[in-house]
Amino acid sequence: MTESTQDGEIHDGEVRGDNDAAGVSRRGFFLGAGGFAASGLLVGGVAGAAGGFAAGRGGSETAATADVVYPFFDQPHQAGVQTAPQKYTVFMTYDLSTVVKTDVQVLLARWSAAIAQMVKGAPIGNPEPAGDSAVALDSGEAVGLGAQGLTITLGLGPGLFDGRFGLASKRPALLRPLPDLPSDQLVAGFTGGDLCLQACADDPQVAYHAIRNLTRMARGTASTRWTVTGFGRASAGPNQETPRNLLGFKDGTRNIVDDADFERWVWTDGSDQKWMDGGSFMVARKIHMNIEIWDTDRISDQEDVFGRNKLEGAPLTGHKEFDTPNFTKKNSDGQLVINPTSHVALAAHENNGGIKIHRRSYNYTEGIDDLGQIDAGLLFVAYMNDPEHFIKIQTRLGSVDRLNEYIKHIGSAIFAVPPAPKRGSYMGAELFS
Amino acid sequence: MNHVSPRRAALAVTIVTVATLLLSACSTSAGSNGSGSTSGDSALAKVSKGASQVHVSLESKGGKDVCTLDATKAKAGPVTFTVKNVSSTAITEVELQSDERILGEKENLAPGLGAVSFTVTLTGGRYELYCPGADRQTQAFTVTGKAQQTSSNAQTALQSGITGYAAYVTQEVNNMISATDALNTAVDSGDVAAAQSAYAEARPYYERVESDVDGFVLPGFTPTDNAGNLDYLIDMRASNLDPKVGWHGFHAVERDLFQAKKITASTKTLAAELDANVKKLDALTKSLTYKPEDLANGASDLLEEVQTSKISGEEESYSHIDLLDFAANIEGAQQAFAYLQPGLTIIDPVLTKSIVAQFASVNTLLEKYKDPSALGGYVRYTAAVKSADAPTLSAAVEALHENLAKIAEKVATA
Repeated sequence: MTESTQDGEIHDGEVRGDNDAAGVSRRGFFLGAGGFAASGLLVGGVAGAAGGFAAGRGGSETAATADVVYPFFDQPHQAGVQTAPQKYTVFMTYDLSTVVKTDVQVLLARWSAAIAQMVKGAPIGNPEPAGDSAVALDSGEAVGLGAQGLTITLGLGPGLFDGRFGLASKRPALLRPLPDLPSDQLVAGFTGGDLCLQACADDPQVAYHAIRNLTRMARGTASTRWTVTGFGRASAGPNQETPRNLLGFKDGTRNIVDDADFERWVWTDGSDQKWMDGGSFMVARKIHMNIEIWDTDRISDQEDVFGRNKLEGAPLTGHKEFDTPNFTKKNSDGQLVINPTSHVALAAHENNGGIKIHRRSYNYTEGIDDLGQIDAGLLFVAYMNDPEHFIKIQTRLGSVDRLNEYIKHIGSAIFAVPPAPKRGSYMGAELFS
Repeated sequence: MNHVSPRRAALAVTIVTVATLLLSACSTSAGSNGSGSTSGDSALAKVSKGASQVHVSLESKGGKDVCTLDATKAKAGPVTFTVKNVSSTAITEVELQSDERILGEKENLAPGLGAVSFTVTLTGGRYELYCPGADRQTQAFTVTGKAQQTSSNAQTALQSGITGYAAYVTQEVNNMISATDALNTAVDSGDVAAAQSAYAEARPYYERVESDVDGFVLPGFTPTDNAGNLDYLIDMRASNLDPKVGWHGFHAVERDLFQAKKITASTKTLAAELDANVKKLDALTKSLTYKPEDLANGASDLLEEVQTSKISGEEESYSHIDLLDFAANIEGAQQAFAYLQPGLTIIDPVLTKSIVAQFASVNTLLEKYKDPSALGGYVRYTAAVKSADAPTLSAAVEALHENLAKIAEKVATA
């Protein structure tokens, strides 16, 4: 998240040179941690000692991710936003079932302490406690897997500030339930939430373990509302090769990666609510894809829908992925080369008054639906300092995007993301002081 | 519904032995090699507000989680431990122990929350402050002088609770005999409606106490043979049938009365056999002895029953009176808890209070489903009710279950 943890991940020898926020060259990286990574000695079982390894991720991810630790306390922002996207996620939303303010306070404090433990690769209490009648606090399935770059990002939904807990005066003015947007086909069971947690890690079981145990901690205070388990990060961070969504196209080519853009478009300041200084807003959308229909669409049409070619990911007006799209270029027939109702044309900041949001999405699959069709799509997660930016872009996309024929927004929620806690405190502490 | 062999009598003997071992072993193991900075000999707790004041601080220092006391000695009498988690994420609870008995404790000690305290009256002797997760988990604490012994109050209260609970279980099983007698008579008469209603009358008795009485194996049978497993013979559901032994008991009768809605010769045999097996159960129940943790585990197991077979609608798949069984499981758990309550209040008043409130909220939820005109007094647990309300019911029970699961350890070590 901070420079020191942007660890210069390398895929197949490719490095995205223009966004080397980590300031760590490939060579420099290997000098720093390569000795361990190459020998594999760091994998597993040393989590307790791993606190000092702020960064260290080699070309061979599976062998070297066990000991990637992102610091939790005393950071300018929560991890899991600017952090280079890990491979897997478990996203969970909750309804507060308690009406007692201190229950919420204790939950956020317990969650924070537990997260601080788990991101080090440490359990939350002994999975095998002494005494026959003792019940373990930690379920144990992450023991020995290491930290795996685990981050857990907390979001606070509008419901937390609805007056039940006397927190109405602390509500960020911009935190309101999203309005109905064009093409929304929301399913009640996949919307909203008073709280959310997004665990991301390079091992799926580490992410799962985190959410499972944090959910257990919430029993009696908050109950589960909706959840998505994701894989195959569908947005690139600095130095990551742009990954692909389940439609087979690169996703996140023009994502925000540098600090200046984060300052300008992602992080909130304390001018509205002091406790949101260094925070952000998170929009989560569950987007179902009509996989079967898409798969039979001819390649030229698929590329027209996106406005990019499929393998390289280049705009149809260019040759390379990072070529800037030319939205006015016409072909010999006088037609715009990039269809104005293509996804890239509608989403581009050039066509949205300069607006940018930071996307950090994951693919998901949930088996098959009741028609026997593949139930899969994208858990779209975006961070921004004004939810109106998402609303504006999605209003355009929802109205005319050619992609709408192949996707369906079925889930939606918005959350305020508080800044990272100071050591000795917890996430959201300022709400209770 | 576990197929467990008889265990209570044997366990009782084992526990006595273990307890003796602990008494002799414990005092030598407690932090005697401690070289920490906290064991200053002069650290006698200051007395204020009539109690010795000890401050416990939980901190993360140099990558280690440490638990520090500002005094390691106190004069006999009331001692107040005030605990503040300054920065430790690994330590979230602190217990004061004596010979591995918990005398006082605090949980939910996350960094950023205010200091909390507990007061215990201690007489001269060696104690340990146990901070699970700390670099050095056990800190010695010494008390000099004599104080009136009050720490055994919890044990006395728990013991008297056990006696009361044993009588309750005996009574329930005894009443079950009258109910299965009535079911048998109604089935014999051939009147399906009367038999259905007698079935619903009989069910709650078993559901209130099943976690205490589900472990009996009849003489001459091995524990792996369901033909001698009384719980199997009385309460087995279609989903867990052993083809070698076939179907017996309540739910086999339920199938005839509510699915075929016919009483056959086989129904009559099943009802008579059920009645006879309940009488065997009654005789065996009288031999049960309990320890406090048996009541706690029993209550927790009844909640597990609610979660696994009532909320799923699996228990009463023909009669759909699952909510009646649900209420009976809760009532049985609440009885067990109520008998532990006087002792548990001394050990952990906060947890006790929260469990009382959680039982109340589950009962309030159940109130909504009461219907005097329905069989068994609750609305039928149909697919529609289940899909609309199961998540709410499940969440309420889950919260209660999580807390009930904490009791056994507390009462076992009281």
